[in-house]
Amino acid sequence: MLALLLSLPALAQTGGRAAEIQIKAAFLYKFGGFVEWPPKAFVEPDAPFVIGVLGADVLAGELEQLVSGRTVHDRRVAVRRLRRSDSLAGLHVLFVGQSEDARLPEILQAARGQAVLLVTESEDALAQGSMINFVTVADKVRFDVALPPAERGQLKISSRLLGVARRVISG
Amino acid sequence: MELLSPRSVRQKLVGLVLVATLAAILVAILAMIAYDLRLYHTSWIADLETQAELVARTSAPALAFDDARVAQENLELLRYRPKVRAAALYDARGKLFARFAPDPELTFPSMPEADGVRLDGDDLVVFKRIVNDRETLGTVYLRADYELYDRLLGYLGIAAVVLVAAMLVAYFLSRVLQAVVTRPLLAIADVAREVTEKRNFSLRAQKLSRDEIGMLAEGFNTMLAEMERLNAELEQRVRERTAQLEYTNRELEAFCYSVSHDLRAPLRAIDGFSQALVEDFPKELPEAAQRFLSRIRSSTQRMGQLIEDLLNLSQVSRVSLERQEIDITEIAKQVTADLRGREPERRIEISIAEGLRAEGDPRLLRAAIENLVGNAWKFTSKTERPRVEIGARREGAPPTFFVRDNGAGFDMAYAAKLFGAFQRLHSNTDYPGTGIGLATVQRIMHRHGGRIWADAQPGKGAVFFFTLEPDG
Repeated sequence: MLALLLSLPALAQTGGRAAEIQIKAAFLYKFGGFVEWPPKAFVEPDAPFVIGVLGADVLAGELEQLVSGRTVHDRRVAVRRLRRSDSLAGLHVLFVGQSEDARLPEILQAARGQAVLLVTESEDALAQGSMINFVTVADKVRFDVALPPAERGQLKISSRLLGVARRVISG
Repeated sequence: MELLSPRSVRQKLVGLVLVATLAAILVAILAMIAYDLRLYHTSWIADLETQAELVARTSAPALAFDDARVAQENLELLRYRPKVRAAALYDARGKLFARFAPDPELTFPSMPEADGVRLDGDDLVVFKRIVNDRETLGTVYLRADYELYDRLLGYLGIAAVVLVAAMLVAYFLSRVLQAVVTRPLLAIADVAREVTEKRNFSLRAQKLSRDEIGMLAEGFNTMLAEMERLNAELEQRVRERTAQLEYTNRELEAFCYSVSHDLRAPLRAIDGFSQALVEDFPKELPEAAQRFLSRIRSSTQRMGQLIEDLLNLSQVSRVSLERQEIDITEIAKQVTADLRGREPERRIEISIAEGLRAEGDPRLLRAAIENLVGNAWKFTSKTERPRVEIGARREGAPPTFFVRDNGAGFDMAYAAKLFGAFQRLHSNTDYPGTGIGLATVQRIMHRHGGRIWADAQPGKGAVFFFTLEPDG
């Protein structure tokens, strides 16, 4: 795990698509630590922390490697590769890749009001109901945060996370 | 200097108070400084660790999401902690991620060290791992002023001022307060000094306190009372004894005088009638009877002389001394002329130094010189070329006079007996005498405060030295 963390900035520097995906995977995992879910989001005491990935298989692969043996909120982390028809039930984080841009409004609409952290990487995604949206600024992966959809999903995003967001849309 | 070798109890007390104050204040100040520095040390370290923890916590997201700008902003908040001289964040790989230092010349360690606090020169250096959700995100580095030595110096400065002030206060206070102890003591000391100087045992020390010094005063007074009583008793006893002695002495002298005096009348009768017998009955008395009578007469005359000498001796003690300037040369000349007149047939060389002068009683000194010169005259009677010298030794004080002869002399072994009454070193037949003369001379010298001593060799002569004043 340390090896991966250590390699992270180096990849960021080299740039390239592969590096970007790795960084996004790492961020995706780390977001969990800065967000609070309502108790109802975890049905069983030892239920895993589930990250769903839609339309980003490479990233899902990276993420699977990354989370093996790690925890978020003291829960085992599980990665679920989703298909378009799959239900969002049991998810805590949902990442929708750029390839699903066309269906994004629909997907986001489906997740609206649920305790699922919605993460996207598409322009204008926040306006469509996404909570965290990756952007690339000067070859660096950054992210914007929209609070209203998170509030609707009863998610509490830590101000510490907001501190490192590029932009925060609130109220 | 006054404090180092105090001469009085007062100074000792003041010194004592100062030393005690110094010790107490030093201990107190050192304890306070030690306590404060320790407190400073521990609290500053705790403070810095807290600060490092805070930075770690606020910077965790920045490190997690690789946001150097936010990390930088977080670090720059430390400008409100001016004691923090430098701060840095290292990422999980140990690479410098963000840094902050008001002083641009400060360098940063290239790699983070293990968690902990250590001293680096005048600074405290803290390394603290940033852990979020069990994951090490990086390391916080803080470098802050460690002002222990500055504080120590500051405290020592304050301590010096406090010490001086306290010593001054202690000095003046003790100067004032020492009187409580010393006044009763000094009162006793004063009385003691006065008693010693004036030998006045009727003085009493005042008891000014109820402590040991008060007891001392009481004891001292008791001793003084005892001494006064003993002294009075002693004086009374001396007075009584003196009176007794004087009475006995007077009795004795009166007895001696009257005996001598009364003895003379019958002696004169014996001598007179013996003479009458010889003169009135020159034919009737056989020659043997006349010879016996002549021996009776010479014996009575000798006894008369003895009585005369005894009277003289007792007179020397009784008459009062009249000191006046005396020409000893003149007296010696008169005495020798007198002797020559009595025995004109003797050929004797007499030399008298000119200008011998002394202070003394003229009558007693004449008697003494008569005795000494008479002795010289007498003991040279069998010498071939008799010579008598009267003079003075020039050197030394008091002036020492002498009478020297080349007569019979005597063995120095008997010198001690020389001046005792009735002590004779030669038989009466060789040199007639009563043995009282030198005793009388010695008594005369003693009455003048002087002394007499002799040097002699048998057959070679004798010298008698005398002084009329105490030695030295």
